[in-house]
Amino acid sequence: MNKYLISKKIVINDLSTFYSFLIGLSIGITIGSIILLVQGQNPIEVFSLMLRLSVGSIKSLSSSLNKATPLILAGLGISIINSVKLWNIGAEGQIFMGGIALNFIYISYQIPNSKLSIILLLLTAFVGGSICILLPALAKVLFGVNEIITTLLFNYIIIGFTVYLVNGPWKDPNSLNFPAATYVGKEVYLPTVFGRLSYGFIICILCTAGVHYLKEKSVFGYELRISGGSALTAIYAGINAKQKAFIALLIGGGLAGLAGGIELLSQTHRVSTGLSQGFGYTAIIVAAITGMRPLGIFLVGSLFGALTIGGTVIQTMGVSSYIADVIQATTLFGALISQFFFTYKIKEVTNDV
Amino acid sequence: MMFDIQLMGLLNATLQAGTLLFIAALGELITEKSGILNLGVEGMISIGAVTGFMVAVNTGNLFLSVLIGVFSASLFASLHAFVTVILKQDQTVSGLILTILGLSLSALLGKKYVGKKLPVKIESLIEIDEPSNIFEVLISQNYIFYLGIFLMVATAFVLKKTMFGRRLEAVGEDSRAADSMGLNVNKTQFIATCVGGGFSGLAGVYLTLSYVPYWTDNMTSGRGWIALALVIFGGWKPYRTAVGALLFGFLEALVPRLQTYGFELSPYLVKITPYAITIIILIVLTIYKGGRTGAPSNIGIPFFRENR
Amino acid sequence: MNQIILEAKNISKSFGKTQALKNVDFYLNKAQIHGLLGENGAGKSSLMNILSGIYQPEGGSIYIEGEKVKKLNPDLAARFGIGMVHQEFRLINNFSIKDNLTLSKSNIYKANFEEAFEKYSEIFSLSAKSSILINELSVGEKQKIEIIKLIFNDNNIMLLDEPTAVLTPQETNQLKISLKKLSSEDDKTIVLITHKLKEIQEFTESIFVLKDGVMVAKDLKTQNVTNNDLVTLMMGEIKISKIRKDNLKGTNKLEVKNIFFENSHSNVPTLENISLTVQSGEVLGIAGVSGNGQVELANIISGIERDYKGKVIVNGKNISNQGVRARKNLNLSYIPENRLGVGLAPGVSIIDNSAVKDYFKSRLGPHLSRNKMLDYLDLLIKQFSIKAPDPKAEVSTLSGGNMQKLLMGRELISNPEVIIAAQPTRGLDISAVEALHELIIKQRDNGAAVMLVSEDLDELFKLSDRIIVLYEGQIVKEFQIDEADIESVGLAMAGSVE
Repeated sequence: MNKYLISKKIVINDLSTFYSFLIGLSIGITIGSIILLVQGQNPIEVFSLMLRLSVGSIKSLSSSLNKATPLILAGLGISIINSVKLWNIGAEGQIFMGGIALNFIYISYQIPNSKLSIILLLLTAFVGGSICILLPALAKVLFGVNEIITTLLFNYIIIGFTVYLVNGPWKDPNSLNFPAATYVGKEVYLPTVFGRLSYGFIICILCTAGVHYLKEKSVFGYELRISGGSALTAIYAGINAKQKAFIALLIGGGLAGLAGGIELLSQTHRVSTGLSQGFGYTAIIVAAITGMRPLGIFLVGSLFGALTIGGTVIQTMGVSSYIADVIQATTLFGALISQFFFTYKIKEVTNDV
Repeated sequence: MMFDIQLMGLLNATLQAGTLLFIAALGELITEKSGILNLGVEGMISIGAVTGFMVAVNTGNLFLSVLIGVFSASLFASLHAFVTVILKQDQTVSGLILTILGLSLSALLGKKYVGKKLPVKIESLIEIDEPSNIFEVLISQNYIFYLGIFLMVATAFVLKKTMFGRRLEAVGEDSRAADSMGLNVNKTQFIATCVGGGFSGLAGVYLTLSYVPYWTDNMTSGRGWIALALVIFGGWKPYRTAVGALLFGFLEALVPRLQTYGFELSPYLVKITPYAITIIILIVLTIYKGGRTGAPSNIGIPFFRENR
Repeated sequence: MNQIILEAKNISKSFGKTQALKNVDFYLNKAQIHGLLGENGAGKSSLMNILSGIYQPEGGSIYIEGEKVKKLNPDLAARFGIGMVHQEFRLINNFSIKDNLTLSKSNIYKANFEEAFEKYSEIFSLSAKSSILINELSVGEKQKIEIIKLIFNDNNIMLLDEPTAVLTPQETNQLKISLKKLSSEDDKTIVLITHKLKEIQEFTESIFVLKDGVMVAKDLKTQNVTNNDLVTLMMGEIKISKIRKDNLKGTNKLEVKNIFFENSHSNVPTLENISLTVQSGEVLGIAGVSGNGQVELANIISGIERDYKGKVIVNGKNISNQGVRARKNLNLSYIPENRLGVGLAPGVSIIDNSAVKDYFKSRLGPHLSRNKMLDYLDLLIKQFSIKAPDPKAEVSTLSGGNMQKLLMGRELISNPEVIIAAQPTRGLDISAVEALHELIIKQRDNGAAVMLVSEDLDELFKLSDRIIVLYEGQIVKEFQIDEADIESVGLAMAGSVE
């Protein structure tokens, strides 16, 4: 029956997540090529075009990095929350909530100074993300309600709420076919660094460094690790495990909210159902596949941003943009599968003597 | 009289929407009972929907379409089973990837089928144009509806009364204890995951071959996620899940009718209510039943046999 | 002559560099109760795990009913009728007794379940109905179900791993009678794995002794051996050091006054009016079968459990309302019963775990100095001779002894004034136990007040100056060490006080 037994390796190569990602990527590209061949396309042609139009010029590279920004920020939030061994499946909703909160403040208050206004609006977006995870967080720390389920369900509540807003109270009368809120004014657009690269990406770099510090070098990160390892050890050490988990959840939700805010101020410029294109879900996988390491999230997130841009532009060749999604998903599955061989050893059950 | 017909129309729509959600939820329930969480329901429904549709367009053979739809979704679910059961990788992550892959793969497969007409359609038991009483509504449902009822009774019976079902639950409750009873944990979980996928596939086939009926990208539009919520709502019990499916289906049916009934309520907000109710139920159950929400104890935890 | 039902020849097994079993021979006589005696770490569990197919030996062969068995795995072992009761039960809590007994593939009482259940309920004097859920049973009852499960699964060779560890003396006695019936009436072959001499003498017919992975005695007839023979075999030349009890006691360092505590999940009082004092330079032993309030008492004193009535006083200072951190600052150390899970966080690195007590001393504002943490870990490793591979490795990769050394080193390096130690040596091998006992005594002689919670009476008698017995949340008896004897402490643990 069970001829093979598996067990965890004691020493796991530090770079294993990196290697398994590379293996996954080659699997993803191979499968993508096969699909392209079946569809009568030349994969090399398609991929080189994708490469050129996603990272080949300052303009395209900056588009890719802008695309990566929400993915990375939401991923960082998930990684902080995972320090206490909790999951946040609700990043998608938190991204929307960030945008909603931002827009709410924008239409409710007039702030004369546009720089100050942008900063305040982004903070609002962060708070919006935190508010979005508040109930799941409270339910978790007070009653132990499974956060995977509550954060997941909250996505639908928030997205439903977004649909309500853009079809109802916030509906832009000028947007006839596509339900969306009115655009924000140009004065609060996030400025660009060069090419199309938004300052959002700079914020993203800062957040990556910040989260890395928080997780690896700070007392708070240490307390999160102990709390995540064992709540009883935390209590024993005098660490308020629930409070730490609560704070981690709020920060994580906030980062996803910030992602929504940046996306709104730099890309969509309005609240609509297109504010997030599944960033929140992809972010979970990106975070998990990189072993929750901030730097890994940054790199893989950037790559996926480029892949998405590449996927959009190849549509002009008559190639479905879904091919990029398939490559992403197979890359992730490939990485997940190869991760197994780095973390476990397999042994055949024998007793031949 | 007019009111009756409207009411019956609402009931009819409730049953149709509820059937789809229920079948997918029932499949997920079986998978979760074995201790495997599969968040990929949305992707599996999509795969079932597109493959069933393709076969129907090409062959016109309904039976074959349903069969292929169910089988391909089941095969697709086996990917999740392989990654989580055999390779012990994280179930949450794998399930989410399954959703992305299912949605994109089905969009690719179905690209040429967008807008195609169906030569056949899954029929109703008895065709009644405007049923005027509950009895007429109940006998004029789609075959899949009756299949759903059969699956509900069968699943409840198998889980509670048969050795196979008790063993499946044993694996989901405590895989190590189940292993010590000589049960094959991996095999059980693998089968349960594939069966769950098959149910999702059936829901998908129902979607494209009767409920809508056409094919377009992302046409599952979140129903897979509702199915996941339904399992929680139903406390991992087939009959309670069916009640939940009726409620969720009712709300789905109600939304487009709200305005004709003259309600000021925003249909978009009404659509949110099932999720809010599910969250409240979950919290209340956790508080008052000391965490006994009905969830299998071992859900999400990979099983390792102790060995050296 | 006895029929040999199972024979293992020349079995060898090593884990990494340590050789757990060296050319071990072992055999079982049909329908007898065998004792497998040995200190913790002598290789008993490894041998049993090999016989039940969980571990694969590197060398040797196994014969079952005379036939050589290749590739023994758990499924095959079960088919040959070998079953094991582990120390952690393998029962499904939310399922009924009946489900737990019948769901197995090898269940032999499908048709006549009720009849068989009645029969074995009587043998084990079990009063629970078969429809009752496992989580409603007591620990003793659960163990009975585990053993009955083996019978239902047609296991004729039953390996019982330390079955009496969780039982009261009375329950132990009951188990003895039940097992004897099983072997004489049902022809079951039983192996009792233990390190308790008294039980070996009372339960078994034949004894095997393992020492450091070597089978030093085979098939000794129980009636022909004395306790002294067994001790010599089991421990070799090592003599357990006698602890000096001429320690000077000083002032009251720890005072606990009128503690009442109710577990939030039930309204049965967990602790009722507990008062005790420990002086500096004194070891107070707390005896009791697990689950009689010891953990709760230790948690209350250390500040983990805050919801209680009564007073905790350290050095004359009332700290009843203070938290864990404040109590740590008064130099109170707590070595919890649950080594991995409470004292140490599983899944977290060795270095992180080494800092649990004092990490806030390595901080600079929000910054945690990794170098300081590394220095501290180095100090612990040197001072307490801990064998740790890599600071970044998960703490669960350490051996039990090294884990406990890390934990105790971390808690004792600051020379605490009050030490609460719960089950500090459970499950460790004899050399580690000796080293840890010395640590405790050293602290005692430094003037610390030590409260030692233990279920191991030998340990309590060896280290304590006084012994208090907890039963159902109450202090039922207090003994000065020179007027205590094992029998009366054992009786008090079972709740019978004259």
